[in-house]
Amino acid sequence: MPEPSASGATPPASRSGPGRVLVAVYAIFALAATARAAVQIATRFEEAPLAYLLSALAGLIYIVATVGIARAGRTSHRVAVVACAVELAGVLAVGTASVFEPALFPDDTVWSRFGSGYLFIPLVLPVLGLLWLGHVNRRESRWAGQPPR
Amino acid sequence: MVEALTTTIEIASLLLAGWCLVSTVRDRSMGVGHLVAMALLELLLIGQVVVSTVLMVGGERPEETITFIAYLATVVLIPPACALWGLLERSRWGPAVIAFACLILPVMMVRLDQIWNPALA
Repeated sequence: MPEPSASGATPPASRSGPGRVLVAVYAIFALAATARAAVQIATRFEEAPLAYLLSALAGLIYIVATVGIARAGRTSHRVAVVACAVELAGVLAVGTASVFEPALFPDDTVWSRFGSGYLFIPLVLPVLGLLWLGHVNRRESRWAGQPPR
Repeated sequence: MVEALTTTIEIASLLLAGWCLVSTVRDRSMGVGHLVAMALLELLLIGQVVVSTVLMVGGERPEETITFIAYLATVVLIPPACALWGLLERSRWGPAVIAFACLILPVMMVRLDQIWNPALA
């Protein structure tokens, strides 16, 4: 099976190859986080408003990142980088806060204890996302003969 | 939730994940075999939905019914979505997408089991 992107005949898309797997992981995670937050907010918002709102926000950022990585193009790429960076900052900040001040979060968020309730996927995913986006960036610059954006 | 069916889905899913990972390592793209296996797995999941629905209509329902239904609906959507996404990728990364889906499914099954029977958690 020839790889069109490897031959240099067509511009490589961020969604092909390993990117395809990354988008699938992101999509399922975005769905899971958003759906869980929606149920929590709808059924017992008053128990832990901050935690549930944070989970909903996290879910939305995952959706933005999913779309950003899946779509080709300069703007989508930038949006995806920002979304992944916010995720990484979020999981580190909320993770640390939940370890040292557990009282802030009566119920778990996606980012609590660095995402331990989600097999630490929230901690790994933004790193993989940023690595992949950087890889795509370098590959595309090589193809276009332009400096990295 | 019937224990035997849940266990069958978990084992079938892990076997398919293993097969797809082997395909990825051997640099194979998705074939008819992968699709047929995925379809069989989807049939098992639909069976789980039917059995759980019958049980819930019969009055045996988990405390967090909404969460349970949401999880079950998501679980059924994962194989077709991932199969389509994997098919679009004509390289070794197609089976890799399926492998990921098949590793997520057992986790979701365990989670469903915990919601259905909190004593297990």
